[in-house]
Amino acid sequence: MTEDRGLVIAGKHFNSRLLIGTGKFSSSKAMAQAIDAAGAQIVTVALRRVDITNKDDDMLSAIDREKFLLLPNTSGARNADEAIRLSRLARAATGINWIKLEVTPDPYYLLPDPIETLKAAESLVKDGFVVLPYINADPILSKKLQDVGTATVMPLASPIGSNQGLKTRSAIEIIIEQANVPVVVDAGLGLPSHAAEAMEMGADAVLVNTAIATAVEPAKMAEAFKLAVIAGRTAYLSGAAAESKKANASSPLTGFLRND
Amino acid sequence: MDVLKINGKEHKFADGKMPATIAELLSSLGVDSATVVAELEGQIIERAKFSTIALHAGHSIELVRFVPGG
Repeated sequence: MTEDRGLVIAGKHFNSRLLIGTGKFSSSKAMAQAIDAAGAQIVTVALRRVDITNKDDDMLSAIDREKFLLLPNTSGARNADEAIRLSRLARAATGINWIKLEVTPDPYYLLPDPIETLKAAESLVKDGFVVLPYINADPILSKKLQDVGTATVMPLASPIGSNQGLKTRSAIEIIIEQANVPVVVDAGLGLPSHAAEAMEMGADAVLVNTAIATAVEPAKMAEAFKLAVIAGRTAYLSGAAAESKKANASSPLTGFLRND
Repeated sequence: MDVLKINGKEHKFADGKMPATIAELLSSLGVDSATVVAELEGQIIERAKFSTIALHAGHSIELVRFVPGG
């Protein structure tokens, strides 16, 4: 079997291929436990106005920033300019230049705007950012983003938080086939089996949030996703057996205990 | 009376009571400056300059921080 050398994004090495989002957890304790159980090394966060009427709104103090790479997103951005502004604020906050680029003008399906995303990506790469763009599963857009220098592409499996699984499978297969940067399948993975399916196809990593955060036992679900990602990756590297329409007996077809 | 626009809302201060810097403003609001990023009149202000850059009446300031997200 080919050895897994781990996930490399913009020259940085990660053993874990499961990225985890921090939204929707019932408490910072539940979030911290799930991150640990997931074995995640990259953790996404959002940027919002400080709630000056609530002094306890800093839920992220539970995350050890030495241990995890904090990956800020530009959620809430409706166009390239808003995403660029959020990216710069995020860089000032983290001191690092990694950004998960999200431009989602449509609040109902939260689908990413391909034109504004490409525009923002190009500008942010020029400004020195390591850009991880969240996109619809569009192979042409993926190529264009790679051409302008994004560090990954992050095609969606299905709408954010929908838990519908890998609805965009055939397009993601093409993206993986053509990619020369890591492909991180993001959004909509609702079950560990969905994550395993993406990894079996050859995705480099997956990002999961809602399915873990809103499970009855988030830490247990995080562990299940971790195992599924490892299983899927191992299966991918093992070279899947061929599929056929008719049955192929696994047991010998000779030496039956009968005389006809 | 002096006015600062903080996160899109006007805040009024009695004469002489307006915070002179971002650091003073955060401290008066009880917000830990270690986790906050500020944008003053559209310009990002590095945390190291929170206590040196002067606030003036009429300034618009954004105070943001990381929150849970996916």
